[in-house]
Parts: sequence; structure tokens; C-alpha cells
Amino acid sequence: MPEEELCVTGMADLDNLLGGGIPVGSTVLVVGSSGSGKTTLCMQYLVNGAQQGERGVFFTITEPLFKLTKNMEGFSFYDKKLIESGMVNLIDLRIISERLGLDTEKYSVEDAAALLDVLKDIADELNVKRLAIDSITALCYRLQSKEMIRDFIFKLGSSLAAMNCTTFLTSEVPPRKFQYSQHGIEEFISDGIIFLGDIERKGDLIRTFQLIKMRGMAHSRTKSAMIISSNNGIELAPLLKS
Amino acid sequence: MVNTLIDGLKERISKAITINQSVGIMLPSKNYSDLTQALLEYICSRTEDAWVYVTITKPYDNLIKQFGDLSGLENIKFIDCISRAAGISNTNPNCVFIESPTMLENLGLEIINVFKNVDDDTNKYLILDSLSTLVIYNDLEIVTEFFYHLANRTRARNIHSVSLMIEEEGVDSQLNKLIYLNDKILKVRDSFI
Repeated sequence: MPEEELCVTGMADLDNLLGGGIPVGSTVLVVGSSGSGKTTLCMQYLVNGAQQGERGVFFTITEPLFKLTKNMEGFSFYDKKLIESGMVNLIDLRIISERLGLDTEKYSVEDAAALLDVLKDIADELNVKRLAIDSITALCYRLQSKEMIRDFIFKLGSSLAAMNCTTFLTSEVPPRKFQYSQHGIEEFISDGIIFLGDIERKGDLIRTFQLIKMRGMAHSRTKSAMIISSNNGIELAPLLKS
Repeated sequence: MVNTLIDGLKERISKAITINQSVGIMLPSKNYSDLTQALLEYICSRTEDAWVYVTITKPYDNLIKQFGDLSGLENIKFIDCISRAAGISNTNPNCVFIESPTMLENLGLEIINVFKNVDDDTNKYLILDSLSTLVIYNDLEIVTEFFYHLANRTRARNIHSVSLMIEEEGVDSQLNKLIYLNDKILKVRDSFI
């Protein structure tokens, strides 16, 4: 049986937990509450990929681009040249919606299809190997039924997989709730789930990281402490259990 | 008297840490200043070795004010676990500041990260000042677990460690057991020298 091709995230601790990387073409749900590190994880994933010669796109729907870049400038992994050279592309989905003339609050079936086509076209034209949507929750709010959400994510995932593009979708959940999405659908269509949480210790919040699922991989399911630092970005350490 | 005590301490520290992988030093609080002075003077004299000094007892700035010679040394890096929690926001390229002494995983990671930059041929030493202060901010069980993890990780990387334990009257005997996880124990007493 041929070995599955892996997308190496470039975050050594995460790649170790995964047994080398994420199967190429997977759609991975990155779940967490506000401040859990979802956006940083996605950006580091894209930047690391670009440094390995894999072009990436980051679609934001929750944060204006100037704020996103300002926040990322504090990290040593963030390299402006990769943005300027087009190896990492930052795109505001709300601007695309406006240009397509879509209702920015609610998408009809036709609107969703048009948006899907644009996303696929961008990924195809740029020959993107890594893609992130921040957040799929905000996008799903605009879709009007569970069927539309399921259909949208399934078609998006399938199209990107066909292009050998590995996709991160961020999912916003309330703090301290062990749930993977707001709509209860996203996790079933995704190939992988990364859960970013926190635990309270003496009033301080310790970030945690747990790999819940990764289709096609025997992976660790232990909960790790996640540390975000300006020097190294995201790092994992064994979580103390006491 | 103080100089003799410090010289005696330096000699004992020197012998213990060159032979043993991990050394615990138990000392009464009245001897704490003398011991840290002895330790830091010893470090200053060992410029060929790489040192990481984890301070949970005094802020980094305070240590530097007290021992001015340390600021110019390239072979010693500090990890300060208390300044940020105390609202002190100074930065220094020679010191890693941990947000809170409760963030033990972060502390463990930063210790290893600092030593990653040291070449394999250099002797590596870690000072943990102190285990008893760490227990002020954390439950004993989690400090014990942290110390086990740290001991395993430092041993695997051939890092020698020195952990301080300040003895106070009425201190839980379980706390003292922590220090016995070390290979060698030095007890500082009046009859020490």
C-alpha cells in the first residue's frame, strides 16, 4: 500500500503528534473560543508552507486585513516578504462578497454557489496548496440551512482536495464548552479536528491543544499545553495532569 | 564570617554539581542570600559553561542590581517567573519572562529552548531558585509532577541541575520530600563549614 502524502505543518510539536503531518487534501477544523490561538495557528501553517515553496491563501471574514497583519507582525515567523511575493495571500471574504453583489448578511443557494466558485477559482489560479478560512462559523451564519452548510463545506473540501490543497477551517465555540462547532455539522464533514481550549490554574488560563481526529492517521489524542510566543509562535508541551 | 561561609558554600556546590546530575540544596531562610551569592559568584567564575538561572524568588532586575557582574555575561541566561505576575513589564535579551509562576509547562519549555542554543560539547547547568517558592504559587502535587518531568528532560539532555529549597519552620514535610528527587542533597546548616 503506498504511503499517504503528508502536508508538513512546519510546527514540529504538531507534526510529531500527527506522525509526520496532515494527509494532503484534508479539511481540518480548528476549533476554539476567542483568544485560543486559531488565527495564529492558521497563519503559522501558511507561512511555514510558503517557506517550503507551497503557496497559501488566508480568507478572513472576522477581522479586517490591516488588523490581521498588525497582529501577526509581532511574531518572528511572520515574513512580510512572503505576503508581498504572493506566496501567502490574504483576502477579505467580505470584499469578495460585495464585489459579487451578494447580500452580506444572508446567502441564497445561488449566492453560496457563486462564492464557492470564486474560492475554487482563486485556489486553482494561484495553484494553492494550503488554504485557511477564518472563520467557517461566520461564513455558515450566512448560509440559511443545515443542508446549505453541509453542501457548501462538502463541495469546498472536495474541490480543494482534488487540487491537493490542505485546508484549515476555524470554528468558533463558546469558552469551556467541549463542542466542535456552532451548527453541529462542520465536524462531520471535516477530515480532522484540532481542539484549542484552556484550563484554569490558580486563576490563570493555560492554553491547551488536542488532536481529536485525523482521518487516515494513527495520531496522539493527548491534551498538550499550548504556548504562543513571539519568538517561536505555537509550541506544545506535555500538560501537567495534577 | 560571611566571606568564609560563602567560600565554603562555593566549594561544596562546586564538588556536588560536577559529580552529580541533580543536586538539591536545603537551606534555612537566613542563609538564602549567602547561598545565592555563592552560587552566582560560582557561575561568574565558570564562563566556559552554559547556565540557566530560573528565578521565582526575586525579579531579574533585582538580581542584576544585586550582582552587577552578571549582566555582561553571555554564558548565563535567566528565566524570570515572577516579574510579569507582579506587573513589572521590563524586557531584556538576557532574560525570558514567564507570564506567571503557575505556567509550569511554559517554564519547562523555555528551559529546554534556551539550552537548545547551546552546543553539545558545553557543560550545561540549570539553577531552580526555588522549589519552595514554586509551591507558594502552585499546589504541591503539580510542582512534584513538574519536577519529575523536568528531571527526566534535563537528564535526557545531559543538563545538570541545582534546586534550592528554603526550609521554614512548620513547613509541610511533603514539601521537603520534593527535594529528595535529586541525586544529591546538600543541607546548609550552621555547622556547614
